[in-house]
Amino acid sequence: MTDDTTRPDRDPSPTPDFSMVMASAVHDMKNSLGMLLHSLDELREELSPSVTQSPRFNTLRYEAERVHSDLVQLLGLYRLDQSNLSAHIEEHYVPDYLEAQLARHVPLLDGRGIDYEIAAEAVSGFFDADLLTGVLNDTLNNAIRYTHKQIRISNREEDGYLVLQVADDGNGYPSSMLSATPDTAAPIDFTSGSTRLGLYFANAVAHLHREGGRSGFVHLYNGGPLGGGVFEIHLP
Amino acid sequence: MSSPRPQSQSGNQPIDFSKLRVLVVDDFDNFRLSMRQMLRGMGIGHIEACATGSAAIQSCTYDQFDIVLCDYNLGSGKNGQHVLEELRHRKLLRRTSLFIMVTAETSKEMVMGAREYQPDGYLTKPINQASLSQRLNALLQQRAVLLPINREIDLDNLPKAISLCTQMLPQQPRYRTWILKTLSDLYYQVGDYSHARKICEDVLQSRDLSWARLGLGRILIAEQRYGEAIQALQTLIERQPDLVEAYDQLARAQSLAGKSGTAQRTLEQATALSPNAILRQKQLATLASRNQDMDTACQAWRQTVHLGRHSIHDQPEHYLGLGRSLCDLSEDDTSDEGRARADEALRALALVRKRFPEADDVPDLSRLIEARVLQGQKRVEEADAIITPLIESGDRLSPGAELELARTLFARDRRDEAKKRLMALSQRCEGDAEIQSAIEALLDEPVGFRKRLQARRLTREGIQAFEKQDLEAAAETFAEALALVPAHPALNLNLVQVRLRQIDQGADRHALIQQCRQCLAQLDSLPEGHQQYRRFQSLKRKVEALS
Repeated sequence: MTDDTTRPDRDPSPTPDFSMVMASAVHDMKNSLGMLLHSLDELREELSPSVTQSPRFNTLRYEAERVHSDLVQLLGLYRLDQSNLSAHIEEHYVPDYLEAQLARHVPLLDGRGIDYEIAAEAVSGFFDADLLTGVLNDTLNNAIRYTHKQIRISNREEDGYLVLQVADDGNGYPSSMLSATPDTAAPIDFTSGSTRLGLYFANAVAHLHREGGRSGFVHLYNGGPLGGGVFEIHLP
Repeated sequence: MSSPRPQSQSGNQPIDFSKLRVLVVDDFDNFRLSMRQMLRGMGIGHIEACATGSAAIQSCTYDQFDIVLCDYNLGSGKNGQHVLEELRHRKLLRRTSLFIMVTAETSKEMVMGAREYQPDGYLTKPINQASLSQRLNALLQQRAVLLPINREIDLDNLPKAISLCTQMLPQQPRYRTWILKTLSDLYYQVGDYSHARKICEDVLQSRDLSWARLGLGRILIAEQRYGEAIQALQTLIERQPDLVEAYDQLARAQSLAGKSGTAQRTLEQATALSPNAILRQKQLATLASRNQDMDTACQAWRQTVHLGRHSIHDQPEHYLGLGRSLCDLSEDDTSDEGRARADEALRALALVRKRFPEADDVPDLSRLIEARVLQGQKRVEEADAIITPLIESGDRLSPGAELELARTLFARDRRDEAKKRLMALSQRCEGDAEIQSAIEALLDEPVGFRKRLQARRLTREGIQAFEKQDLEAAAETFAEALALVPAHPALNLNLVQVRLRQIDQGADRHALIQQCRQCLAQLDSLPEGHQQYRRFQSLKRKVEALS
């Protein structure tokens, strides 16, 4: 049995489905970038601090990470579009999870000399760890790029939702991003750059988390504990 | 570097890394080297590394490791999943050891083939020192806490493991899910289904989690509550269409409930989602063969053989199954397609002897199927060159090989010989219900699968006509089917039954009684144990009373 059901309009010509070709190309690029990032982290161990703390080296790491997480999100959205993406909700111990998210960015944090803090409450939460990793990875990479000196990640419970928060002490989100209420049904505005893709993906992932008639959502604002941008994802 | 490394927040006990033994498996030199450096940086005492799956298994045969860090994609040989399956299957890795799958994939589903064995954790590339050390710390912490339970499971002391789980559940909220899953599974394994079910139901009360719903389905199957199992699993699939295990369990439930056609379709969906699981392909092949869907069976056996190359689950019966299904499909078909299928069958049957030189009756079985393939291609002399020496040697064949020989003799049109051997086999294996029913099925329909299918279709049509009271059409259809399988007991009795009804309704009895006698004569030697024996006796008495 083929998966005809997910593609109502099947092209009768023998040319392969273009979106599938794209998806496998994206998959390939993503894996290559993974290798590239790994090599960069290895280089960082071998090179002198004067190189590894130079803005150019950090830009290299940041941009590669950014493209990598864009590709991860694209693949996620492709699966969402093919409607075979569903949230695999499991119980996770939140402090472990947050530590793992931050650990991945340690080379860049150290490279840019940024202070970081995890303020985790020792609770377990219910979420799809893979999907949420795609969201937090992008968020953290952005926070590291736009913060001045510090970032802080934390969790709390609010109105029966698990809230994961990433805060920085940068200049905050531009007002255009704060006012927009990103709708997963609306098309992405590609002119505004990839931050929007990240937000779009974050919203899509939040919506996939449903429990007892409630669904997750994303909240962006400025201020917060460090006075910069704050990203929050609320999960029921 | 002013900032601290991420520290665990929960007051974990410190772990002595210097005592740990770690094996790194990756086909890239560079990656092995950098893993080594990172592990050494963490203070791990003993580190070994190798490049292939086979070497990893070799290492674990002679050495015990606490942690195996294995890349999923290892080039052309075994992949990470193969290594995991073989280590766990051959018990080369204790449950108390950690197997961590390293992957470039963000989506686990791409990695997951058969999930009979799951890794203890995943690491996604790129990996740096901080993320490796965070992940290993968390997993080792978990291992330390759960060690008492896993140790009892390693020792097969399941009741003790159950009581430890129950004891630890309120103390370890952090590992609640792990303990609940394990506890439910342990209850399942010792056959205490009501406790196993209670755990899943309690979890589902507070939140709809797929592991609990899947577990519930599995338990309901074990309790033979197939209807409820099917419903639970269908609900789960509706919500989570990409959860492959749900399809596997659903197919099991449907098959056990006697709906083997539906079960086959469910498995086809599952193999479309995840085509690389050998056990799932095998399941599909078996079901499709039973459903006489030879095209699907053949394709699934082909996949099973292909996926078996590096797998611990590789078995002779996969090759024999492929050979048999290709034999059925190529029978009496000497077109290019038929010849190509016959050639493929012969290759598979030669390969099984090469791959399993030690297996008992594999040489006999494969040669006998080979003979049938050759017979189907009208290569009669070559077929006889296999059959004759085997019979003349007078060696005692295994029951399976006897059945295969009978099939081949029927195909070769040496019917009496085939029947004689089957009678002898029936006496030899008196207590073996499986062999007996195989003998019965073979005697009922000793023809190729195309004729068998046709006869079954006609039988169904005949029954429909009978139900519509169109007795003459029913009789004609049954007679047509009997022309294909003259000795089929149920069919002969169906025809007798129709004729008796017609006589009841005042038809000319003379000619009809004659036909009834012919049908009954076919069943003269029907053994008492045959499913149709009582029906045969009762219809025979009715016919005798008429004459």
